[in-house]
Amino acid sequence: MRAAFVAAMLLISACEIEKVAIPVTEARLATHGVLSASASTQVVLLERTRNGSIQLIAPPFDLRDPIVTDEGVAETGAIVRLEMPGGRMLLAREDNLVSGDASGRGVYRFLLPGASLERNVPYRLSVLTRKGEALRGETAVPGGVVAPAAEPRQFDRARDTAFIQWPAASGARSYYVRIETPFGPRAFFTDSTRVRLTGDLRNVELRSLAHVFIPGFPQIVTVSAVDSNFYDWYRTHNDPLSGAGLVSRVTGGFGFFGSLVRLHFQELRVVAPQSEPVAGKFRVVGSALEVSTTPYLSLDVYVESPSARSDQPDALSGQFQKRPTFSNPGCQICGLLGNSQGGRINLYFLRDWSAADTAEVFTGEIRGDTIVGSYRGFGGVARFVRAR
Amino acid sequence: MAHVLPLVPLTLTTLLTLFARVALLGLVPALLSAQDAATGTVSGRVSARPDTGATASASSATVSLAGRSVGALTGPDGRFVLERVPAGPATVRVRLFGYRTVERAIRVRAGDTVHVEVVLQSEAYLLSAVRTDARAVDTETFTTKPNVGTIAMGAAAMAGVPSVGEPDVVRVVQLLPGVVARNDYSTGLNVRGGEADQNLILLDGHPIHNPFHLGGLFSTFMDATVGGIELMTGAFPSRYGGRLSSVLEVHSVDEAHSGVHATADVSALAATGRLSGAFGRGRGTWSVAGRRTYADALQSIFTDNIFPYHFRDLHARAAYQLPGQARLSVTAYHGKDVLDANLAEFATDSVMTKAGGGQWAYDWGNLVVGVTLSKELGPVSSPLIGWALGDSTTIEQRVSTSGFATRLDLGDGALTQRSELSDLRFSGSLLTRGASHDRSIGYEVATNRVRYASGSAQTGTTGFDLTQRPKTGALWIDDLWRLSPRWLVEGGLRAEGLSGRDWAALSPRLSVKYLASSNVALTAGAGRVTQWMQSLAGDGALRYFDIWIASDSFIPVAAAWHYVAGVERRLDAGSVRLEGFVKQYDRVLEANWSEDPGRRGDEFFEAKGLSYGLDVFARWQPATGANGWMTYSYGVSSRWRDSVRWAPGHDRRHELDVVATWPLARYRLGAHFGLATGTPYTPITGEIVRRVYDPSRDRWGTGDPRLRLEPLGGVRNSERFPPTHRLDLDASREFLYRGATVAPYLSIVNAYGAKNVFVYLYDYSTDRPKRRAISQFPVLPSLGVRIGF
Repeated sequence: MRAAFVAAMLLISACEIEKVAIPVTEARLATHGVLSASASTQVVLLERTRNGSIQLIAPPFDLRDPIVTDEGVAETGAIVRLEMPGGRMLLAREDNLVSGDASGRGVYRFLLPGASLERNVPYRLSVLTRKGEALRGETAVPGGVVAPAAEPRQFDRARDTAFIQWPAASGARSYYVRIETPFGPRAFFTDSTRVRLTGDLRNVELRSLAHVFIPGFPQIVTVSAVDSNFYDWYRTHNDPLSGAGLVSRVTGGFGFFGSLVRLHFQELRVVAPQSEPVAGKFRVVGSALEVSTTPYLSLDVYVESPSARSDQPDALSGQFQKRPTFSNPGCQICGLLGNSQGGRINLYFLRDWSAADTAEVFTGEIRGDTIVGSYRGFGGVARFVRAR
Repeated sequence: MAHVLPLVPLTLTTLLTLFARVALLGLVPALLSAQDAATGTVSGRVSARPDTGATASASSATVSLAGRSVGALTGPDGRFVLERVPAGPATVRVRLFGYRTVERAIRVRAGDTVHVEVVLQSEAYLLSAVRTDARAVDTETFTTKPNVGTIAMGAAAMAGVPSVGEPDVVRVVQLLPGVVARNDYSTGLNVRGGEADQNLILLDGHPIHNPFHLGGLFSTFMDATVGGIELMTGAFPSRYGGRLSSVLEVHSVDEAHSGVHATADVSALAATGRLSGAFGRGRGTWSVAGRRTYADALQSIFTDNIFPYHFRDLHARAAYQLPGQARLSVTAYHGKDVLDANLAEFATDSVMTKAGGGQWAYDWGNLVVGVTLSKELGPVSSPLIGWALGDSTTIEQRVSTSGFATRLDLGDGALTQRSELSDLRFSGSLLTRGASHDRSIGYEVATNRVRYASGSAQTGTTGFDLTQRPKTGALWIDDLWRLSPRWLVEGGLRAEGLSGRDWAALSPRLSVKYLASSNVALTAGAGRVTQWMQSLAGDGALRYFDIWIASDSFIPVAAAWHYVAGVERRLDAGSVRLEGFVKQYDRVLEANWSEDPGRRGDEFFEAKGLSYGLDVFARWQPATGANGWMTYSYGVSSRWRDSVRWAPGHDRRHELDVVATWPLARYRLGAHFGLATGTPYTPITGEIVRRVYDPSRDRWGTGDPRLRLEPLGGVRNSERFPPTHRLDLDASREFLYRGATVAPYLSIVNAYGAKNVFVYLYDYSTDRPKRRAISQFPVLPSLGVRIGF
């Protein structure tokens, strides 16, 4: 909140009056580590704070390389150990040693299934870098039974509210509720053991306060019992001007070493009424050749939000079906976002379900029950007709 | 002693008094000759309540009987006698330049004496500088009160000070000695090393909790409604409590003229209107004023974009002189800042999401309603309450309610945060004035309600919900003792208590003035102060408003000692004052930025602190020509906790301000120049990327497009911003147009475009790290016009 206000005030009248080069500072060790009772292995990320010594770039995010591909400075070659409750030491292996393409730098993995984690007893992390720096942290995994994924269920955001309840977990400092959305997760902590999620829930972590539930998208809701390290690290922020505020309990660096137990796992398949002219299910039509070569077979389009101003388009969301090919792995049904105004329509076919990664853009217009347009990447004209 | 101060300094006042007596003597034969057998005597005392609010004897006031050639001037002690007044109904009229004329109906009985006590109220004028009144009152105050660390200023003295878009008394207060403003964007007051939440701000004696608009850029006080201010920067009298650093009294102006009068002030930011008048042959006054910013309306007229913010103020004031020397006054204020928008309406959002943007609602405001009933009891000679009452007695009772509330609603209830504070306060005092003692005793009881809550209606969760209902009580005594013509001693004791913490304390106050000569005085003061309302606003560069919570079993009461010593010299047309101060904090509370909302007791850190320094205040108020003041403040502040010591963000060390206004025939010119050393700040030494674990897939990172960067601070406040300097100019011209007084004005803030640093922003994302300096006010011209009918 304060950051937003500072930004607002600066916008009002302040301006930049000086820009000077400053010295490179000391890069400190930073870690993010979680012991998860549902994970097959336990991962600790090790990196350096950004100190102005490296030109950072943001290549496409790669889950196998979550530090380097997300503007981080990986700390490689460290000795990372976990002291088990009985005193046994476990040594982590850095992913880049086995990935074959050097990806996974700074990703240290303990071959320790979550199911074998003892609850409410301390696990101690120790890190020794090649420079001889030492970092330490400690956590105790809360109690609670790991919940398997529940059967996906349909969620009409216009009328449904999800009521979620879970058993209390011993040793849990708080419960971490998280809903995946195409624009990034909406997450919050609660000390309660129940929560309700209304269909019109807004994502306060996004500047635009976008809806959390986006029609056409499968969205996972999880609830996890977390320890105090996890809770304090993610509930706090640094003040943008003083750089203080984050609660870090590791010694020898920044970051956290915490734990969680997933107590609830539910996939909601979000839908909404499709009453607007642009909304509905559409399938590709055309000549036999066209149909056999088009990369996208059908669309399921919703009006995510009607426009707030006359000069703005409606926001669209939904999903599309891809033609399965060997050269195009991944989801067969993926998310789409878009907009529509005055009969014109722009659809952004996502590579998966994240708004961060667009695979194709379709631009066209709505003619009655038909959407006609062309693909920016693939080229050619495509027609989709409303399915009856 | 080589130099003996005459009992009555041979000044203009004395000469006028002598002249009056001589004149009165000269009238005696005529009066005698005209004497009816049935005559009586009218005697009494006239006091003046200047803008400072402190009542003092009014010398040289003209006392006459309406329609009759009987009159006198009051003496230095404000007393007068009218003899051989024909029996029957009469009207006593009291006049003093700079004060509203008072008429009092009396009935004179043959052979009897009617006693009249009159308190004059200061009178402010639109657009015309009235400096002689302030000077006279200052002189009076100089000889009758210790007034340690106290500065009073009338509306006229503040008029012409260059304004930041909108005339603002708190901006003027920032230019007074011992007061530090963190930066251009804040009207928060850091007084003599104190934090901005340590100031008791009173509107006509009633507390107002968050008197700021737009994140502290403006105060809530409309220029047209302010009659004057009084700032007490240390060792204040025992009737004031509850804050550690200062008391700022803002007095509403009372209309002096009968009929209905109107003023309008249209500035670059807001439009202000005020209607006022007097009624009941001057017995009553009333005024209603309102203000609203209009940038939102203008934006919507000329563009498709929106500016979803405005603030508004409404101020009403009425006072009436009741029969029996009683006076009733009512002050009401309501203000609100409103920041409501659907984020979808902003054109800058991305095409993908703008239609889905959610509603943002953020509003905050104050509500104050206060009633004061005072009554002059006249001389009371019998001992009633343990000591003999003085020659005259004033009893006063106040009732007020003051509230502040803010509500933040993000995303139609997805996250709601509210802070509310309200109180119902009863206070009263009994003041007796005698030959050598002005004694007063008073009380204050209040019931308060505090609520600070956060939650989400959409998720049915509560982040935190703190409700407090503390009750407070205070009893105080004060004795202003004119020990000798040279010595003035004011001692007091304040006993306070707070429910919820079972806290009680005694706070002694003492101030002394030694008049080394008729125009030189040495002063000293000391006192203990406590504060049981604490702000969570923190020590940041911007202070949008305070979020108050009360001391309770988890939160201690803050306490400090003030020590002040100084010397003041009165000049023919001004004064020079030098004061040193030490403020020792036994306990000062610092908001914990990382507090766990789910737990109590970690809201504040308890620290100790020390502030000391020296203030120089030179003020010139000649009858004609330029007037203004110059201040130099030197201050050093430090805080420490757990063996860590730091300078608070307002530790400015050196500050020089020169303020001058030139009232010319038709023009009025004003200027302010400020020069100050930089305040401390914490350098950012790097950044950390906060990684996010995805429990649904048990992996790090989900391709979340947001990069969660957190700046990392170095040693707290270990560096200082560069010195700042700024020249502000103001010019207005007054002319008459169809019976209205029209005065357009132009203010230019930072006239020569000084590049003063507000904050530094850092970028460590490249191999050439950079620091950007963001400016304080650029050149900021603003136009306005003031119209009076």
